[in-house]
Amino acid sequence: MKKTTITYGLAASALVIVVAWGLLAASLIPLWAAETAIVIAFPVLVLFLALWWRAPGGEEDIPFIGY
Amino acid sequence: MIEYLVFAAAFGLLLLGLHRKVIARVQMRPGPPVWQEILHALKFSFKSTWIPKTASSLLYVGVVLIGIGIWSAALFVVLAGESILILFAIYMLHKIVEHGFGLSSGSPYGKFGGVRSVISAASEIPLFVTIAAIYLFTDSLLLRDIIAYQAVHGPLLLIAPPAAIAMYIVILSKLPYGPFSIVESKELVSGYKTEHFGVWRAGISVIDGLKTFVLLFAFVAIFIGAVPFSLALVIMTVVLVSLSFVCAVTPMLSPFDSVTVQGIVTLLMVGYAGVLWWVMP
Repeated sequence: MKKTTITYGLAASALVIVVAWGLLAASLIPLWAAETAIVIAFPVLVLFLALWWRAPGGEEDIPFIGY
Repeated sequence: MIEYLVFAAAFGLLLLGLHRKVIARVQMRPGPPVWQEILHALKFSFKSTWIPKTASSLLYVGVVLIGIGIWSAALFVVLAGESILILFAIYMLHKIVEHGFGLSSGSPYGKFGGVRSVISAASEIPLFVTIAAIYLFTDSLLLRDIIAYQAVHGPLLLIAPPAAIAMYIVILSKLPYGPFSIVESKELVSGYKTEHFGVWRAGISVIDGLKTFVLLFAFVAIFIGAVPFSLALVIMTVVLVSLSFVCAVTPMLSPFDSVTVQGIVTLLMVGYAGVLWWVMP
């Protein structure tokens, strides 16, 4: 995956979490709606954050598939 | 709310580190530092990462996202005091996620781990009987109602100890290095996790941290009731240490024996729930 795609994904997931948190703090959305948004965005944030700062390099390989 | 998720994942990983430490000390080894699992998660997240050629890309990555998502949802369910049926439905979904991990990579080790995950579904049956026994006392499966019941009548741990023991065994079956940890036993390298490396493994660490926190927190809420959050963390740690002692002195069972023991626990729990149903007004 390209670095720019990862950056956009990371930014989008962070934005969803911040917006959900802000709207909940302003009482514009119910708690369950904010929780739903965070449940969807948090896994994306975790993976894209790690993909964003991971070490470069590495190619597809074939794992051990038996003797 | 994201702070809850970060805290739960970090504290859960700390508990898993403590788990390894206690097992090591019981077995007369120095063991890793208690923060080792947090360091593992960070280390894996920095590593080079790709998707193996033999993997189904969508499933391979998707199960990591789903795994983090379902345990995030489980944490919110517990914190909101919602139905424990939702919580245990999520627990069942985790079984499917484990299976997906195993099948997605194309590695035989992962596949066997995934298949064992299905076999070990026997560990979930005591959970359903536990739910039935709790319902007979509380007339509700909402966590806030169960906590309110305990505020009046005392902890369910004392009122229905067999139900607490059954859930204790369920949590034991989810911990690594335990007698029922057949899904990631050493003869399968790391079981269903074998081919998930680098960033994907860091995601699995987050799943494990959240899962450990949620299950122990739910145990405290269901069987002890409303306690200050700091005290709940202390009780969770004590329960975890007791589980670690069990893991340290118990060899891993073979898959057949694991299912047999869990089946016996289920039968005992069914008998207990039947007696309760018979004698309660």
